[in-house]
Amino acid sequence: MCGIAGIVRADPRAEVAEDALRRMAAALRHRGPDGWGIAREAGTGLVSTRLAIFDVPGGWQPMRGLRGTLLVYNGEVYNHPELRRELGGAFTTTSDTEVVLRLLERDGLAALERLNGQFAFAWWEPRERRLTLVRDRFGVRPLHWTALPDGGIAFASEAKALFASGEVAAAPDLAGIDEVFMTWGARAPRTAFAGIAQLPPGGLLVWEDGAVVAQRTWWAPDFGAGALAARAPGTDPSRPGPSRGAPGPDVAGPGALADLLADAVRLRLRADVPVGTYLSGGLDSSLITALAQRASDHELRTFSVAFHDARYDERAFQQQVAQALGTRHHVVEIGPREIADGFRAVVAHAETPLIRTAPIPLYLLAQATRAHGITVVATGEGADELFWGYDLFKETALRELHLRDPACAERLLDELYPYLDVPAERRGPAWKRFFFEAGASGDPLFSHQPRIVATGIVRAFYRPEIREALERMNGADPLARLRAELPPGFARWSALERAAYLELTTLLASNLLSAQGDRVAMAHGVEGRFPFLDHRVFAHAVALPPERKLGPGLREKAELRALAERLLPRAVVERPKQPYRAPAVVPFFGVDAPEWVQERLEARALDAVGMFDPGRVEGLLRRCRDGKATGFREGMALVGILSTQVWHERFCGTAAATGWPAERSAPRVRLDAAEGITSQ
Amino acid sequence: MGETEVGAGLRAELRAYVEEAFLYLHPDIELHDEDQFLELGVIDSLGFVELVEEVQTRYAIAVDALEITEENFGSLDALVAFVERRRPS
Repeated sequence: MCGIAGIVRADPRAEVAEDALRRMAAALRHRGPDGWGIAREAGTGLVSTRLAIFDVPGGWQPMRGLRGTLLVYNGEVYNHPELRRELGGAFTTTSDTEVVLRLLERDGLAALERLNGQFAFAWWEPRERRLTLVRDRFGVRPLHWTALPDGGIAFASEAKALFASGEVAAAPDLAGIDEVFMTWGARAPRTAFAGIAQLPPGGLLVWEDGAVVAQRTWWAPDFGAGALAARAPGTDPSRPGPSRGAPGPDVAGPGALADLLADAVRLRLRADVPVGTYLSGGLDSSLITALAQRASDHELRTFSVAFHDARYDERAFQQQVAQALGTRHHVVEIGPREIADGFRAVVAHAETPLIRTAPIPLYLLAQATRAHGITVVATGEGADELFWGYDLFKETALRELHLRDPACAERLLDELYPYLDVPAERRGPAWKRFFFEAGASGDPLFSHQPRIVATGIVRAFYRPEIREALERMNGADPLARLRAELPPGFARWSALERAAYLELTTLLASNLLSAQGDRVAMAHGVEGRFPFLDHRVFAHAVALPPERKLGPGLREKAELRALAERLLPRAVVERPKQPYRAPAVVPFFGVDAPEWVQERLEARALDAVGMFDPGRVEGLLRRCRDGKATGFREGMALVGILSTQVWHERFCGTAAATGWPAERSAPRVRLDAAEGITSQ
Repeated sequence: MGETEVGAGLRAELRAYVEEAFLYLHPDIELHDEDQFLELGVIDSLGFVELVEEVQTRYAIAVDALEITEENFGSLDALVAFVERRRPS
């Protein structure tokens, strides 16, 4: 697990300054606190910062292969021992990096299909002057790039290293920011920065001798094959009953998931350092913890977030699981003060405006995890997307049901969202109408329309000129772009499969795995591992009959519950799902609110950034100060506005341009134009 | 239009609520009592949820699904009439 960055010039004789590379490395040292390395040839420079997990003493990067190609690599390929055996021959290290490099040199990009893991890498073939950038299937690891004016290319795990290079300046991308306020994150290739692209999940890019010659996805979530066999049209989640679909070819019976998930966990415990788990107290992370405890050869450490505010707190369930499984458990207590104090650092790591404060507790959890000497954690991320755990899937099912049986759908809607501040009996009929009239069932984005409307509140605070600029901008509409880029089979998938696809490609990749995942964990050099995002588990989930995911009576994740019943306390298996949330308004307006909040939100600061209208914002702030901004929409609006202000100050403000120091320590590896390693 | 003192108080109260909760997002709009919220874009579909919740809570009215119409909730005039008609005496 590491940070990677590099610059390749169109002119093969042009120099890539070592100081620029050192600044890029310094900007990524949090991702790789154990050391860094550099490779420089005429027209090319690559750097790596390393968090050592496999082959701690060896395995430094950049790494040169037998054919003379170079690799900088961020991530893990868990099946590297099996691939190593297959490749045969002598290896210099026991790292997965060397295996990936060997495989690439042998098979080219056909090697990608063989990799089980989470990774982003840059592979440089000097003879062809070809740079290949690759990102893993679900987009666990980030990779950004920018085209240089001379025809060259610069890339980096995080955009900040591109700014640190001095090759490109940070500026807001209105369309990218607008996308955050509609679907919770800028979707690749878009980012919140103008001129900075990110590789899509499962994407690759090939630059050759002065031009980008290929951009495509090598893997994409496909609900076609298995699901078509398994799916019954018009699945009614409200009614119990036998499966109406035959299991697909990948569903080998009730034990199949147990074996598969156990193997996914086993692979993800592979490390030359101790591995822990994040334990939320919900079904998914508890299941991963139980499987990890069984497979682990040492005392498993578990780490949890607990909230002062009981509405968000799940500590009772966390303790129950930790006690039942006998893990060594650690808890980080989060109150409003912690959220306010961590906010600016999280925005700086996430490199995007946010709409929720939920990443901040996870940032503090990673800090505590690191402090306890654990640098690798397995988590339950991905289960809700694969096994239809989110309320969004229930909403979608109910909105479909409403077309056939409105009374039943309305009754069931009352049971959704039991955790909202306003209880069901007070949400009343308008709430129901909001859901049941939120978009036509033929709309490809049907499942996500309620969320889009809810999140879109932030856009109501734009200055008029921003609104006009977005309207004039060709291709800026995030929803039009999303509709235009849906895969060919999308229309044939069921409403819930379409919802799952949209969750994977919007929320998971653009938010949960990035701002709330990689960025906040790697801020402290902690690597998250996600057994549910093993592509074999995904294939299994796709092939399941729908009622094994969203079961009778809107019971979510039936398949996982069946497995969990064998491994976890009954109370944890049977508890209703509680989404992970964190307070939004109180941290910034309560008694302990820090001064910088007011400074960032005053009219002068808003004018300086130029995104939000001070008059409108003042109306919101008044409601926040008076304690009236209690709804989730106003919370999102506040976090959206405040984070945009903080983000702009950090990256695009006048102070940001000079804030990129160079790495001064000696590199652990230096590869120069001449062959081989010259220092270590 | 002759309006009772109670009715005028109610109108002022509802206007203050709509202004404080929704109108700050539309500084260019001068809202008249008969103006339609949806037509002007003052309140969106989720805003309607908040408006209905507020009316239910503030005036102890149990709103029926069939009553959520523009005739009842679509403007300040409509709101005043609806609340006057439905609130417990």
